[in-house]
Amino acid sequence: MEVLMRIIAILLITVYLAFASDPLVINAHVRMLPKIMALDTRLSSKTDTSKKIFAVVYDGNQKSEAQSIADAINKTHNGKVSTLLFNAISLSANELVDRRDIAFVYVVQKSNPKSLKKIAAWGVENSIPTFSYDVADLEYGILGSIAIERTSIIYINKKNLKEGKYHFDEALYQIARFVE
Amino acid sequence: MNYFRNARLSTKLFLSMLLVTSVIFVTITLVTFSIVRDLTLNSQKEKASLLIDTVNPAVSLSLFLGLNDLGEKLSTITHRDEVVELQILDIHGKILLNYRQHSPLKSSQMINVTENLVEPSSLKPIGSITLTYSGEEFTQTMNRFYTLYAWIGISIFSILWLMILWINRLLLPITLIAHKVRNYKPGTKITFDLPYTQREFTHISHSFEVMQESVIKYSQEIESINKNLEMKIAEQTHKATRHLYYDNLTSLPNRIKLQEDLLENPTNTVAILNIDDFKEINDFFGIDAGDWLLTQIAHWLNEMKFKPYRIGGDEFAFRLKEGQSHIEFQYEIENLLLSLNERLFMIADETVHVRATVGIAIDSSKPLIHADVALNKARSMKRPYAIYDRSEGIEQQYQTNIAMSAQIRQALVEHRIVCQYQPIVSSKSGAIEKFETLVRIQNEDGSLIPPYDFLPIAQKTKLYHHITQEVVYQACNLFASRQEQFSINLSGSDILDHRTVMTIENILRQTGTADRIIFEILESEGIENFEEVAIFITRMKALGAKIAIDDFGTGYSNFENILKLNVDILKIDGSLIKSIDLNPRNRIVVEAIVDFAHKIGIDTVAEFVASEEILQHVKDLNITYAQGFHTGKPQFLNQ
Repeated sequence: MEVLMRIIAILLITVYLAFASDPLVINAHVRMLPKIMALDTRLSSKTDTSKKIFAVVYDGNQKSEAQSIADAINKTHNGKVSTLLFNAISLSANELVDRRDIAFVYVVQKSNPKSLKKIAAWGVENSIPTFSYDVADLEYGILGSIAIERTSIIYINKKNLKEGKYHFDEALYQIARFVE
Repeated sequence: MNYFRNARLSTKLFLSMLLVTSVIFVTITLVTFSIVRDLTLNSQKEKASLLIDTVNPAVSLSLFLGLNDLGEKLSTITHRDEVVELQILDIHGKILLNYRQHSPLKSSQMINVTENLVEPSSLKPIGSITLTYSGEEFTQTMNRFYTLYAWIGISIFSILWLMILWINRLLLPITLIAHKVRNYKPGTKITFDLPYTQREFTHISHSFEVMQESVIKYSQEIESINKNLEMKIAEQTHKATRHLYYDNLTSLPNRIKLQEDLLENPTNTVAILNIDDFKEINDFFGIDAGDWLLTQIAHWLNEMKFKPYRIGGDEFAFRLKEGQSHIEFQYEIENLLLSLNERLFMIADETVHVRATVGIAIDSSKPLIHADVALNKARSMKRPYAIYDRSEGIEQQYQTNIAMSAQIRQALVEHRIVCQYQPIVSSKSGAIEKFETLVRIQNEDGSLIPPYDFLPIAQKTKLYHHITQEVVYQACNLFASRQEQFSINLSGSDILDHRTVMTIENILRQTGTADRIIFEILESEGIENFEEVAIFITRMKALGAKIAIDDFGTGYSNFENILKLNVDILKIDGSLIKSIDLNPRNRIVVEAIVDFAHKIGIDTVAEFVASEEILQHVKDLNITYAQGFHTGKPQFLNQ
């Protein structure tokens, strides 16, 4: 019985770990993504507000996670990357598509593919860069993601990059890995 | 600098070219070096910059994004060999990456290039990247440059060396021409065989040849002129020699030739022949006739084989002939004089009889002087010839005369010409009424030299007038303060000397003694220079002076002249007076003179009154004044 309990506990932990976000990755994303937003060369023309909106988008019941990530971003960067002022907020996918003041989108882990496609389409339509936690999300049209391998590696969806008419600093293209 | 100035033309050209080429070469080398160095260095810097530029964006972005993959970003350039070192610093200077591939070679220059890493969006500096680039390529390039220019330099200076050889060869004809011209002597002809034909050198050699021809022509002219000049010089020398050694009138050798001939022997025997009274012949027939006579005599002497010399106006000389004895020479001279006495010479259709006197010096060291002494001796002795005799002391007499002449001159300078005064007393009263001034030379020891010892010499040495003037001065100044009359003797030459007469007149005017002075003149002077003496007497009498005829009664006394000269006193010659008591004839002559004087109303003075007997005769003969040792000896007078 005790052994069974132990097995059940291990399985629960495994399930939890399987569905829980990697703090190392999150941490990397928190540090890097606002800077990638700043590399958007057409950022100033996309929104009228002086303080750009960094949207942490969630799906389903992930609001708290999204909010914690947004808080972490605000805390890490103190609302400013280089000369760019921004504010990170959490938004649901549905809220996102109604907004016109969003400058950058980060989709948290385990969003369903339908939402991902919706967000990606919205991003392409509005030339708003969309990054997600999981590199596999690029399959659904998300523009990019940052994976932690031997080092941090930026992946960019080449097709989406063209369709969305994104314009980043050239250097980004030099260090990023493009996927088809 | 002097070395360069005096250097050969080829050396100058070489040094000039070397200098210019060196300056150009060094300048070009330095400029090229600078350009190549800068270009190469810049090129290497450019390469290094390009390398940095290649990785700069990615590195900047990685740094910006905080990606820890700088090494990977730099891998594209770090594999290159030129990249020696790569260093990335953050904005705070913290080393983020320090990559070193290998240690650089010491000899290679390192090129450091540093660029800022900036934020992609804001371009704000976030760090720096420094690339140390290998300068090996730069060093290799510069080494190639040095090698290239070393070869260029060697090539240029080799060319220069070849050029100097070529210039030397080119200028060789100048050296050849110079060598030939340097050894050129007028009269020789030089040809220029040049090793090769060059227009300039052909011109030079042609010019030299033309000049050579001119020089030859000029030399010939000079030589011709020189020959003519030499001939003329020889001719003139001959003439000058002849003029120097030969008499122009008679063509006989002259005194100089005789003197030179006499130098051949230590002693010589010489005779000097003097034509007697030749002055009279000259005065009578004229100088041309006299010259003609001398020519005839010279010709005759030559005919007589005497080998005569003409040593003066009317003097000829002969030397003892070789092998001839003195006796033979003397005999020959005697025969010559006899022949001359018999010989008649012609002057303008007139025959002239010529006599001569000869002086002979035998074996004499001073033959001309001694022959002259002998000649004078013969003349004074009125003999046809005389032979010099040392024992006669004639030479000593000459020495004495010379010494006396000097003594007179010295006495004049030192005012040792003094006067004594001999009283002239009245025969009747015996009172001293006049003084005769008698000159003496006072020696330094106070002794007196009588006038007959120095006056004859003074007359021959032109000092006589000075003595006369001194005597007149002293006497006039003395008697200016006395009452007596005083007399002074004047010679004919004094009267003829204008300056002496002027001086006498001045002294008389200054002293106011003209009315008490009596000038004593020899009767013979009045005869020889009658007119001049008469004029003098007139001038002196006009001043108030009186004139006395001294030594009257000797010689050819001429009463007519006395009358004409208008004299005041006759001083009867002492030779008549001193024996008047013994010689009746003298008394008769004195009586005649006194009688004549009384009749024309002039006074008489008897000289040489040496005794009372003579004084008595003087008184008996009614002679106005008496003068002599008996009546008063010469004495110094005070003012």
